[in-house]
Amino acid sequence: MEMAEEVYSNLMREIKDGRFVWTGELEPAKDIDEAIEAANELKGLVTACNVTDNPQSFAAINSLAASYKIQEETGMECIYQLRCSDRNRMALCSDVMGAGILGLKNILTLTGDYVSLGDTPKAKPVYDLDSTTLTRMIHTLVHEGKDISGTEIPNPPKLHVGAAAGPGMDPLEPELYKLKRKSIAGAEFFQTQVVYLPETIDRFFKGVKELGVETPILVGIFPAKSYGAAKFFDEYVTGVDVPQDFLKNLEATKQIKDKEKRKEEVDRVNIEYFTGFLEHLKGTPAVGCHIMAVGYPRIIPELKKIIE
Amino acid sequence: MNAQTPKPFEEVLEYLEGKKKIVLMGCGGCATIYHTGGIKEIDEMAEKLTKEGKEISKIGLPFGLFTCFLPMSSMVLNENKKAIEDCDAMLMMSCGDGLQAVRGYLEDEWGIVKPMYPSNNALGFSSGGPSDFIEECQGCGDCELGKTAGVCPLVRCAKGLMNGPCGGVREDGKCEVNEDQECAWVTIYKRLEKFGELDKLLEIREPHDWSKQSRPRTVTVEHPIDLLKELAGTKKVIESLGV
Repeated sequence: MEMAEEVYSNLMREIKDGRFVWTGELEPAKDIDEAIEAANELKGLVTACNVTDNPQSFAAINSLAASYKIQEETGMECIYQLRCSDRNRMALCSDVMGAGILGLKNILTLTGDYVSLGDTPKAKPVYDLDSTTLTRMIHTLVHEGKDISGTEIPNPPKLHVGAAAGPGMDPLEPELYKLKRKSIAGAEFFQTQVVYLPETIDRFFKGVKELGVETPILVGIFPAKSYGAAKFFDEYVTGVDVPQDFLKNLEATKQIKDKEKRKEEVDRVNIEYFTGFLEHLKGTPAVGCHIMAVGYPRIIPELKKIIE
Repeated sequence: MNAQTPKPFEEVLEYLEGKKKIVLMGCGGCATIYHTGGIKEIDEMAEKLTKEGKEISKIGLPFGLFTCFLPMSSMVLNENKKAIEDCDAMLMMSCGDGLQAVRGYLEDEWGIVKPMYPSNNALGFSSGGPSDFIEECQGCGDCELGKTAGVCPLVRCAKGLMNGPCGGVREDGKCEVNEDQECAWVTIYKRLEKFGELDKLLEIREPHDWSKQSRPRTVTVEHPIDLLKELAGTKKVIESLGV
């Protein structure tokens, strides 16, 4: 068996078994407790959870430390996110080797938001590597047992490297070429930015097919636990258009005074929207869903019913 | 060219606090183009500083004489040696190269140490003009343009990505950091498409070699130019243009 065929994580096991895979997202910020609580809530609902690395360029608890702590304390398998914004190639390499000895099994490589977007705008942006060369560096560490300088390492980390994709990018073509490049660099799975529109998914998978990319892709979805959460995505996240009908239906729930009834209505709006979306997704090559519903785990069993 | 903008006058005044006799020195190169240290700006600065009670001597360089190029600026410095020796401080209306070239000349050739202050903030290499300029090259020491369709992603991409675009491209291909600029990698994509070379986008470009930028970098030119001969050549061209 070739090394590339080895499976180290539950995430990769389920992808290879051809099961529809669900991943979640944890956002440790300046404190870890909430993320640990959320990981406990997501147990049994998703196969693994992404642990964000300085999201939106706000300095947060180190994602390597957080991934390890979450995995140790909750048993939730982590997808350790690693961005190029804040570390040079030496630091990235040492962090990945560190992830290996801490028993982390998946890494997601990211370029990272520009530093000026967050709470530390005067920081020196690094970007010594980019998501493609970081992916290749990790692939080389795992599969060739060589670090960034080409030096052989005795116990290579045993983990899988994934990368991100943006189905809603405009123009889409440069993004598709980058996706292909990252698959050549060794990406074993992709998780996409949030998508709401079936036509965005179709356009994306058509391009993926034309470029001959066969790497498994999990499509990002964002069931919104409130109108505000959906509105934020619509306004501030590039490449994501939230459908106006969905937004309007969520906005209408704000009128409901009774808290429990409002929650029920928010759930109903989400289920109604995502039933159509997930039914559509079944007919695409997507191997799973990455659910970025931070703080909204109760919706996940309902979504899984649609697929199963 | 080295793009530059003037510092706030208050900052300049703070530097010169307690200093009476000031020599202002400009530059006939970039500082003249950017109106930060041409002869006109030196006159304006002299007037403002005189009102603040300073005694001013002016060293203006006509267009084409560069302060950072010592074979040129040393001629002017030598003419003004007395004023420089007598001053309490020099205010350099040039880029940081100009200031430091003169500082080194005074120390190494004349053996005098004078407080020297900048009146400008230099922004680095730029191209274009006469009004609008953009940074295109950062002088990294290992030019990547041959691999990136003649567009430098180290400069034009806010993140300096060798394998872009990033996930932050705005609608219509604009950069998430600089909304007015097209994403460098969208530009590179469009150019390669026109050449019929999109397959080049599937190559993984190596991380940039930053060892070529370990500082300070020094360069030795084996056969330095003959300044007067070169100036004579320039004169000929100018005459042929009917100036």
